Amino acid sequence: MIKIENLHVSVGGKEILKGINLEIGDGEVHAIMGPNGSGKSTLSNVIAGRDGYEVTQGSITYKGKDLLEMRPEERAWEGIFLAFQYPVEIPGVNNTYLLKAGVNARRKHQGEQELDAMEFMQLVKEKAKLVELDQSFLSRGVNEGFSGGEKKRNEIFQMAVLEPSLALLDETDSGLDIDALRIVAKGVNTLRAANRSIVMVTHYQRLLDYIKPDVVHVLADGQILKSGDASLALELEERGYDWVRAEAHV
Amino acid sequence: MSNALNHIRESAWRTFEVDGLPSSRDEDWKYTDLSRIAAVLGESWWSAEAGEAVSADDYLIPDLNAYRLVISNGVVDLAASEIPDAITITPLAALLQDDPDAAVELMLDDSDAPFASGVTALNSARASDGYCICVASNVKLDRPLHILHLSSGGAAHIRTGITIGNHAELEIIEHFAGSDSAAGVTNSLTAIRLAAGAKCEHYRLQLESGKQWHLGRVEVNQKADSSYTLHAVELGSALSRVDVVDDLNEPGAESELNGLFVLSGRQHVDHHTRVAHEAPHCRSRENYRTVLDGRSHAVFNGKVVVAKGAIKTDSAQSNANLLLSNRAEIDTKPELEIYNDDVKCAHGATVGQLDKNQLFYLKSRGLSEEEAKQLLTFAFADELLAKMKSRAVRRYIERAAFAKLPNLSGLEGILV
Repeated sequence: MIKIENLHVSVGGKEILKGINLEIGDGEVHAIMGPNGSGKSTLSNVIAGRDGYEVTQGSITYKGKDLLEMRPEERAWEGIFLAFQYPVEIPGVNNTYLLKAGVNARRKHQGEQELDAMEFMQLVKEKAKLVELDQSFLSRGVNEGFSGGEKKRNEIFQMAVLEPSLALLDETDSGLDIDALRIVAKGVNTLRAANRSIVMVTHYQRLLDYIKPDVVHVLADGQILKSGDASLALELEERGYDWVRAEAHV
Repeated sequence: MSNALNHIRESAWRTFEVDGLPSSRDEDWKYTDLSRIAAVLGESWWSAEAGEAVSADDYLIPDLNAYRLVISNGVVDLAASEIPDAITITPLAALLQDDPDAAVELMLDDSDAPFASGVTALNSARASDGYCICVASNVKLDRPLHILHLSSGGAAHIRTGITIGNHAELEIIEHFAGSDSAAGVTNSLTAIRLAAGAKCEHYRLQLESGKQWHLGRVEVNQKADSSYTLHAVELGSALSRVDVVDDLNEPGAESELNGLFVLSGRQHVDHHTRVAHEAPHCRSRENYRTVLDGRSHAVFNGKVVVAKGAIKTDSAQSNANLLLSNRAEIDTKPELEIYNDDVKCAHGATVGQLDKNQLFYLKSRGLSEEEAKQLLTFAFADELLAKMKSRAVRRYIERAAFAKLPNLSGLEGILV
């Protein structure tokens, strides 16, 4: 699905990512864990195409194409989805119609017929149930006046509607109480598929109790220091990150 | 002509002759320069001739079910109007001819007060037509009243007086539009008097041609527990200056002033508002937004004055401005004058560009850069239009504003 090679990224002249190598196969779920400031969010933002990140070296190949050449909206059309750590409020822009525009822009790009209003509403209602999102949220402004948990649920709802090939969940678990976490995790698990890869960026093991990853990576000091299976997350929860650092720098 | 009317006309004309138009040396007119008007419209610009009249049918608001008053180049056109029976409407020209004393009383009664500016003096001196509208106590008109001011250039001085009786209600849509066949100036003064418990919803839509100069004044006088809402929209004209003066004279009066400018090219729009809290327990809200593209220039001056006895005043004012071009300019000045301690007053002004996080969010969901920009711009403007109760007017203005911001056609329906 995606292959990242020797990726170096600077923000404002400061190097944040210092040679990332990462390959994610179709249908795989990867967790990227690490301490604050290690570059986890930088990685997901670079993949999604946010401004302000300078790639100084390396490459990202997505479905065989050079991802770094694509504009953010082209990445979305090609199936990349970022669930934001801090979902943005956009008063005045209708939540549902934003999604309709997004879905149809992608369908157009892929040469498919655009969905009409009826078909789209059916899709939206079905997906809203998945994350137990109240219908009233559909007609409100994007994230306008939503609580922290509602915003995160809305992100997963959008993911369900947009049906991405590669979903990046940036700290989706932060700010969620246990019930909301369960709902979000259930939604994500339902969306697991052979043609859909998922990357979860998180501090904590607790999300991984609900969504079991195939691979766990430790990102610290701008590099992936260690990779392993789900048991690595448990070990990190217990022992912290310092031992990984010590091991890597030996 | 009666002596009183004569007197007013003559003294107003003398004032105009002596003072002339306000100049940029006057603090209130610092940013708006009327000195070029004679160069554009000729030395006797106040009596410039109009081009060929336009048809009201071309300027109707779709889906608006309303009574209609049409003023074409400053003259009431009864044939194109549909006048309701439930209220009294008299063209000013008829009053001036048949009942000058009534004209004085209802339209030009402020003879002792100094004219606000040469523009107002000129209006008093030259106003040849307009309407006098009386809504009797407890009457609520079943449909809104669409007052369509059409211009095909030339000079028009229009005076409208509206009196709304105790607990009566009126919704009016003052709509200025026309053709660009000739340059022109519109000088419109609308005075609204609300008796106790009266309500007025006032849409003031300025969509004049790019060759028109627009000079407007709205004077509102509110008695106890009355409620006044203004939706001022500025999309048209080369230059527009509007003064809004709202006096809350008795306890419990409420006012809400909403303004939206969407400007492009070299358009210049200046609104000066003055809300005077003269009595206790009054509430005022003011919300102005501008979207400025090209080399356009907007001026907002919002003054709130709270008198000594006006305790428990509740007033809030906000002005937000979006600059789409680095050559556009906004001069904004909120002013508060408070003469007692027992009040709640807030004000704020912001000037900004589109939010980068919002732009990226929309693009990450598949909208193009251009679509995302236009959508955010429009959402910013539309938050104000959402305050309009009339769906037909709101949609009409949305479409007109859409037309000034290209490339939005594929996003129909995306707004809340």
